[in-house]
Amino acid sequence: MITDRYRRQTLIKELGQKGQELLATKHVTVIGGGGLGSHSANLLVRMGVGSIDIIDNDIVDLTNLHRTSVFSEDDIGKSKALILEQRLQSVNTKVRVKGFNQKVTAKNIWSLVQNADVIIDGTDSIPLRLLINDISIQHNIPWVYAGVYETVGMVMGIHPKKTSCFRCIAQEIPKTKAQETPVLGSLPAIIAAIQCNETIKLLLGRQPSGLLIYNVWNQCFDTLNIKRNPHCPTCGIQKKNALRKK
Amino acid sequence: MNIMKIRVRVFGRYKDITKKDVIQLNIREGNTIGDVVDSFVKQYPVTERDKSRMMVSKNKMYTSFDTVITEGDEITLSPPVVSGG
Repeated sequence: MITDRYRRQTLIKELGQKGQELLATKHVTVIGGGGLGSHSANLLVRMGVGSIDIIDNDIVDLTNLHRTSVFSEDDIGKSKALILEQRLQSVNTKVRVKGFNQKVTAKNIWSLVQNADVIIDGTDSIPLRLLINDISIQHNIPWVYAGVYETVGMVMGIHPKKTSCFRCIAQEIPKTKAQETPVLGSLPAIIAAIQCNETIKLLLGRQPSGLLIYNVWNQCFDTLNIKRNPHCPTCGIQKKNALRKK
Repeated sequence: MNIMKIRVRVFGRYKDITKKDVIQLNIREGNTIGDVVDSFVKQYPVTERDKSRMMVSKNKMYTSFDTVITEGDEITLSPPVVSGG
């Protein structure tokens, strides 16, 4: 039963009451609860996605506060995942929010995402995104990549075997861990909102829009709707290497 | 070897750097996407740090650096994926 809470949202033809009811049956796993993940989880809770897991083993740090909106100075030193669970559950008691103060690894990722209808990328690591991508393609779970740097954000909804995957676009992993990433404070909120739109579309069975590149400083928005690399080692039809066995 | 003129569509900050949506590059017959990237970096040295990680596509399909280019191919170059969260 859809209450007044979502009335304005159900008026949208792309969603409607049926779509809203469908969202209430869906489960999303958010990996990473920082600038992107906390905003995405916040929006999905408010929009009425039925069940949301948030996984992050990090604690809130003073340097997180300029680009997040859920955390406050009182949260410094506390688990991001557990704070998000507490705050977001109180935003919407009709959905289920669960935080996991846990590191995502190759060994435990399947147990953490196996019930997800969509996985949300809130990480800050390319190797972890490649791990999410592998598990997504292997088990046919859509996921939505998002990343930020300076004033530029990128988002790509990935529907296994239907759209390009992360490995199609990220051919080489940086050899050294990046230094502290420069990020404009307003950027993660904007990019997370776009990430949420792509997530909602996937949850409703629609196709994502390709790779979106947005420079919020000069308001330059690009959409690249480019097909899968047929030789992609992860999703390619003619892939050269088999998927790593989990 | 024949010289071919190819059109390369650029995205993201490459539009700011080149001040264009589409640029023209001269490449030799038998050259690869990697050679296109080399030529682009030579022309716009500020993109050097992206060199090995650029997103590349040929004829609306993501591809790898060793893909050979032929006349009339549509190439795109985009900055590497961003990783901050």
